[in-house]
Amino acid sequence: MKNMVEITVENLFFKYPDAEKYALKNINFTIKEGESIAILGENGAGKTTLAKNLNGLLKPTKGSVKIDGVDTRNLSVAKIARKIGFVCHNPDHQFFAETVEEEIKFGLKNFGFTENEIEKSLLDVLKTFGLEEYRHKSPFQLSGGEKKRLAIASIIVWRPELLILDEPTIGMDYAQRLNIQNVLKNLVSEGKSIIVITHDVDFAVSLCRRAIVLSGGEIVGDGCLRKLLSNPEVIEKASLRKPFLIELEEEIGFSVIDEDFDSISESLIRVFDKCHS
Amino acid sequence: MSFLKAFQYKRRNSLIHRLDPRSKFLLSLVLMTFSIVFIDIRVLIAILTLQLFLIGLARALKEWVYSLRGLIFFIIIIFITQLLFGGTLFMGIVLSIRLIVLSSSMSWFFLSSTPEDIGRAMSSARFPIELTFSFVMAIRFIPVIYNEFQSIYDAQRSRGLELEKGGFRTKVRNLMPILIPLLVGTIRRTYEIADAMEVRAFGASPKRTSYKLLKFKKGDYFLCLVSAILASAIIYLKIFLGLE
Repeated sequence: MKNMVEITVENLFFKYPDAEKYALKNINFTIKEGESIAILGENGAGKTTLAKNLNGLLKPTKGSVKIDGVDTRNLSVAKIARKIGFVCHNPDHQFFAETVEEEIKFGLKNFGFTENEIEKSLLDVLKTFGLEEYRHKSPFQLSGGEKKRLAIASIIVWRPELLILDEPTIGMDYAQRLNIQNVLKNLVSEGKSIIVITHDVDFAVSLCRRAIVLSGGEIVGDGCLRKLLSNPEVIEKASLRKPFLIELEEEIGFSVIDEDFDSISESLIRVFDKCHS
Repeated sequence: MSFLKAFQYKRRNSLIHRLDPRSKFLLSLVLMTFSIVFIDIRVLIAILTLQLFLIGLARALKEWVYSLRGLIFFIIIIFITQLLFGGTLFMGIVLSIRLIVLSSSMSWFFLSSTPEDIGRAMSSARFPIELTFSFVMAIRFIPVIYNEFQSIYDAQRSRGLELEKGGFRTKVRNLMPILIPLLVGTIRRTYEIADAMEVRAFGASPKRTSYKLLKFKKGDYFLCLVSAILASAIIYLKIFLGLE
């Protein structure tokens, strides 16, 4: 496989073994290098099922998911995981090691990194996520937000080309949320792709340009996140709410964010200038 | 973990589902006794046929077949130990059938009885409420633990863990990243449930009443009669005919 990653989903249908109905129906999209995508939708819409199909944990019932042109049915989960990292929504589902350090090293050891590489990556990620002081502490003794950070750190540590995060902001205070947001923004600026499954539309707006909106296992919207979240029909179907920034735009009557989202702060300054003038 | 599916209640509208759990439990015990007492393949096959009939009536054959996948591991161990310790292939087959009969003896009961009904049956037999409640909770949490096992397994596979790779020792060592979170999660949940029950006054009143009371019907008396006949058959076959 190459160093970049491209996912093509074609006519994907997925049904759980004991289920009568399809959890995913006729899903089609492509994810290209460096994209930042939010997967939105109501509870039970199929968001996590879709994510698990993307990283090979689940295999399509019908249709296909291809990673760099190779069907996931022909790839092991471990091989896919090296390129596509998946952070599950409950960090308690992955902790088993005695210390935070060992927890972070686990993936690196599985992928056969050398001792030097492991040590370097460990130090980098501990610093990035503010976990240095917890290095020798048990993961089970951390708070909810710290656990979430450790869960993300233990995946990011091997620098996958695409990172899928399932509800990354649950249980986080504002500062921790901002920290994760900045780390993910840096990843995007490095050319990595990210997919965020979330109900937190404000977080999605601050990070992602594209959204895939699911409802009842089907895609009800795929495109520019801002446009989709301004569409009342999509919002109602997916049980979402308008993000704060879009509400603000509607209130003041003009766009506060550039189409390319490059600088929210600059846009806000424009708003204040306009208000003052 | 798939063998747990055979012990998970499936809501169906069947004759077996409508029976009292006490009469079903009695028959289950008798069927289980057959699998423990006898090793004769004719007896085991006869009991397995009866069990399949009951599971068929409970419309749970699909779940039963699915649960057999979980028994394959134990059946392989039976065959390996037979071959290693001078047993025969035939004995391997007999012991495998015995294991299936033993597992099926209880599976049709759990597949067709709600945890609440099992709790009511235990209460009517004057088991202490703490014991009854713990037992009912244990049954009810089988699917929860199964789902949690699956989520943990997925989380670790996403970090490059490959259970299929390596020898026996490596495979056992690789299970640790799955078993430790499962155990920690289960213990934590136990404390949380205990707290949640206490704040809702569990055990505050020594006298408890029941919203629904179990009552024997014609079918239950018939099942008890069948159990009595089968229990007599065990005594006759074992003591008078000396069947192994």
